[in-house]
Amino acid sequence: MSARRHLPSRFELKIALALVLAAVLPLLAALWLASRLAEENLAVGLNPRVIERLEATPGLFRDLFQARKQLYAEQARIIARGLPADPQAAARHLEGAIRRTPRLRRVAWLAADGTPLAEAEATEPNPEGEWRAAPARVSLSGGEVLECTFAIEARFFAELDEVRELAETYQGASALRADIQRSYVRAFAVILVAFALLAAAAGTWLARRTTRRVSDLIAAVRELARGNLGIQVDPGAATDEVAGLARAFNAMVREVRESRDRIVYLEKISGWQDVARRLAHEIKNPLTPIQLAFQQLEARWRTEPQGSPEFGRLLSEASQIVKEEIGTLQRLVEDFSGFARLPEVRAEETDLGAFVEDFLATTPQLAESADIRLTRAAGDCPVALDRTLMRRVLANLVENAAQATRPGKAAVHLGVARSAGRALLTVADEGPGIPPELRGRIFDPYFTTRSEGTGLGLAIVKKIVLQHGGEIEVGERPGGGALFAIAMPLAGASGARR
Amino acid sequence: MLLAPLVAVAGLAHDVAPLAGDLEIKDGRLVAGFDLGPAFPPDLRKQLGNGLTNVVVLHVTLAPVPGEEPAAVYVRETEVLYDVWEETYRVTLRDPGHPRGHHLTFAAWEALRAFLAEVRQIDVAPASILGDRTWVVSARVEVNPVSQELLDRTRELIANPAAGARVGGASRSVLGAMASYLLGKGATGADVHVFRSRPFSARGGAIR
Repeated sequence: MSARRHLPSRFELKIALALVLAAVLPLLAALWLASRLAEENLAVGLNPRVIERLEATPGLFRDLFQARKQLYAEQARIIARGLPADPQAAARHLEGAIRRTPRLRRVAWLAADGTPLAEAEATEPNPEGEWRAAPARVSLSGGEVLECTFAIEARFFAELDEVRELAETYQGASALRADIQRSYVRAFAVILVAFALLAAAAGTWLARRTTRRVSDLIAAVRELARGNLGIQVDPGAATDEVAGLARAFNAMVREVRESRDRIVYLEKISGWQDVARRLAHEIKNPLTPIQLAFQQLEARWRTEPQGSPEFGRLLSEASQIVKEEIGTLQRLVEDFSGFARLPEVRAEETDLGAFVEDFLATTPQLAESADIRLTRAAGDCPVALDRTLMRRVLANLVENAAQATRPGKAAVHLGVARSAGRALLTVADEGPGIPPELRGRIFDPYFTTRSEGTGLGLAIVKKIVLQHGGEIEVGERPGGGALFAIAMPLAGASGARR
Repeated sequence: MLLAPLVAVAGLAHDVAPLAGDLEIKDGRLVAGFDLGPAFPPDLRKQLGNGLTNVVVLHVTLAPVPGEEPAAVYVRETEVLYDVWEETYRVTLRDPGHPRGHHLTFAAWEALRAFLAEVRQIDVAPASILGDRTWVVSARVEVNPVSQELLDRTRELIANPAAGARVGGASRSVLGAMASYLLGKGATGADVHVFRSRPFSARGGAIR
């Protein structure tokens, strides 16, 4: 509709504010919960006792290494105590030591100048996998040295590096504990705000669809108040209360417009009736003296025939013309009088289909000029109607339809059905139809497309229909021809208007 | 040429200790030496010998008085790792003279403590900067401050807790990834010592 505005209305702003409040309040509670949750999770994840134990782990490795070093030193001393003075025997002793001593990979008896006097080395792979050398030296007499190389598991150093890295990480995280908690709360806030914004946007969008329709309705009501009875709002495809309100508004405006049109038309017809009454009176009054004067003139001529034969012939012709014109004027006066004296509706309840059938049965002369077919839909169409006036309506419409297809015999289609809570009577012909540009004027009094017509027939039809609380529209019959549709309230729905 | 003994100054703020040491001009440079012993008490031995990497950061600033922005800043970062197998202190020192790090090994705690506490021959600033103004030298010692590396490692930890701070794993936690992104450095390390000299000038009577 044209009244659509671009700025949000107060109603929309209130709805949006309510949505934002509805999103923000739980958000604040969620933030508080998030803060508590982060604090409690950090208390578990960064437990000071766990971190203390982690930090103490390198110390355990130090103790392990020291114990190994002491063990290796003691084993080296044992080997040194049994070392023979003879180099060959010493070599056998050292080989035996290699076999007997766990993790001993190499042992050498070195002179004071470093010259090896005897030595032995393990040839088998270290049963404990990769290893690092752990030296153990025993000083002997004379500056000699027994140099032992033991194996210590390389995995200890890898594990030490890993646990150190882990301990340093958790130590650092512990130092940043408050910052981590803050960052989690901020992250939570960012995510929640993003979700809240999405929810608010979606809610606002949904609410705006409703509030916009309400705003449209308000604008339409204002437009209606300014007198625009053509205003309608788009109810859309929704089935909610707002859509129902829009449809009810449209129906109300439509009814108001139809009532106004009805009143305007009846007032207009009433004016034309008054004119017709005066015209009929003014025309009728001089007709009788004219007619009498001519009759006297003719009578005198007949009683005194000595006059000119030429004059007698001229008088006879003039008399004929005057009589014909007086007859035409009298018919016109009768039409005007009939239009001016349309009686009031005296409605009685009857079935519309039965009424039409009765009309056709009691008006056999119509069948001479037209082939009339009646189609009745299933079900009754109880209406309150004045049988005399409605017979006049039907006769007029059928006669019009018959005239539309002359000189051939007309085919007239009558239909009776119920539609949208009203009784529907249609009269259609197969003639040339009524051009769209004339349809708006066709019910106006004295408007006619025929040379011999007075233009009062359809005006009378419409007035009678309106007096029955009905409506009449003209359109095009599917397949060609004119179609008049009369919609009347069903009896019990609303009474006929008098 | 010895400029001034950095004698203790009374009446300093509660958390600011007097800075003791010497300033001298050497080859056109202002060179300082300090005794930062109070920042390295004997009981620090346990912490520095715990087998974890400990970081000691020294900030030395030269600022004119009264309280203006420092005209020169010297930063020295010392990483100390006690090798539990070798039973030695492995030290990596980084300062303007050793941007890529200078490696040292100390077998004894006393030697390490002396190295950390007795700062010698620090090149603070060009001597020409002094002019006629009055200056003050401040030293700030932080033990295990929150470094950028620590911050990055912690970010990895909270972005991907399951990986235990190992770099390279894809984050499986949206909240953690966002928290990691939003993690900022708040307070500095817990162990901070601040020292400040008394005011001095190049023409002052204290200059020797």
